[in-house]
Amino acid sequence: MFRLSAVGRAVVAVSFALALPWAAGTAFAHHSFASYEPDLQIKFTGKVTHFQWTNPHVYIGMDGPDAKGEMRHWTIECANPGILNRVGWTWNMIHEGDTITVIVSPLRSGEAGALLKAIRLADGKTYSNGGPAGAAKIPFD
Amino acid sequence: MRNEARSPIDGVVGLLATSVAGLVLAGPVAAQQAAGADKDPIHGLNGSWERYPNRFSGLGSEAVEGPPPPEPIPEPPLKPEYLKDWKAEQARIKKLTDQGLPPANNYSACLPDGMPAMMQAMFPMEVLETPGQVTVIEEAFNQVRRIYLNEQLMAPKDAEPRFWGHSAGHWEGDTLVVETVGVKDDVRFRNVPHSMDMRIAERLRLSGKDFMTDEVTVTDPEYLTKPWKWTWMYRRWPGYKIQEYVCEDNRYYPDPDKGNQRLRLDDESNESTTEN
Repeated sequence: MFRLSAVGRAVVAVSFALALPWAAGTAFAHHSFASYEPDLQIKFTGKVTHFQWTNPHVYIGMDGPDAKGEMRHWTIECANPGILNRVGWTWNMIHEGDTITVIVSPLRSGEAGALLKAIRLADGKTYSNGGPAGAAKIPFD
Repeated sequence: MRNEARSPIDGVVGLLATSVAGLVLAGPVAAQQAAGADKDPIHGLNGSWERYPNRFSGLGSEAVEGPPPPEPIPEPPLKPEYLKDWKAEQARIKKLTDQGLPPANNYSACLPDGMPAMMQAMFPMEVLETPGQVTVIEEAFNQVRRIYLNEQLMAPKDAEPRFWGHSAGHWEGDTLVVETVGVKDDVRFRNVPHSMDMRIAERLRLSGKDFMTDEVTVTDPEYLTKPWKWTWMYRRWPGYKIQEYVCEDNRYYPDPDKGNQRLRLDDESNESTTEN
């Protein structure tokens, strides 16, 4: 873990949004996402260090700042390949070294894990993380 | 447009043709087979389906046009001594979930739904009608359920305990009537306990061309005071191809102290670390 430079800190965008908890009172489609912050979403840009296209979930590894501006190595949880294929992803659209921007809800525990809400690839295309993960409440720009 | 590109219908046509050919060659035995195949005509359930109105498929929850949705699943009519424990457990799960500590469950261990939870169609579901059998394939966890037609259902005491139990069915007009026994007692829907005498009765039929209903009735003389009933509905998804689902790298594990679901994270000590 290390501190961001002043410049780095300047690009940290943290937004608090009144996000509705996903489907409160109804069955989760899969694993519960309750371990993630229900009302906090953050956005950051960084390089992909790891892209794992597996069930039960897809994961992206990348470095980026947390809500306090500290640089972390994030494990970002995505939906599963089935859901992602249905919302337009493909298994080979992200590669190690790609620069991407993500909107995520971090784990409530403070660990460097987060639930993806939306992603913007280097080519500018944006994708959701499917219905169960909930929508992004902050914009990319 | 109906999804009939796959070939179960072709298969039936082929089988009938084979049987008719066999009739000429083999006489009474083949005639019996042909008559048996004739008892199981295609009833329109073939193809891919998704839950209605909840779009668990991942596409969001936008309203879609269709028939009135089913009523919510009622509380299980457990006997008082079991109902008390069940309510306490539900309250415990809700409290921990509200605290951000959702308890680990079967999915955390990569275990599939089993019956009857499989029929909630977490992800899209495919139905295949073939002679003598109706097969249901649920995308989540590659679940497969085989309903054998016109067979005697075994007695629960003889049924090897399994995730999806043992199912026998028959057609009553346009309704597929199915009964299931032999579901493992630790395979639970909504955390409701059951005995090996549990029976799951289902009535599956089309509602119009593009909707299907499954009326479920669970009975269990040991745990329930009366039948537990609900209805699930599905909407046809023409052309959808069921995807594979192998629970290949499950990063969830139960916290050794609190039992809540935890996620295995990449090593943070080296920012460029990649696992797997």
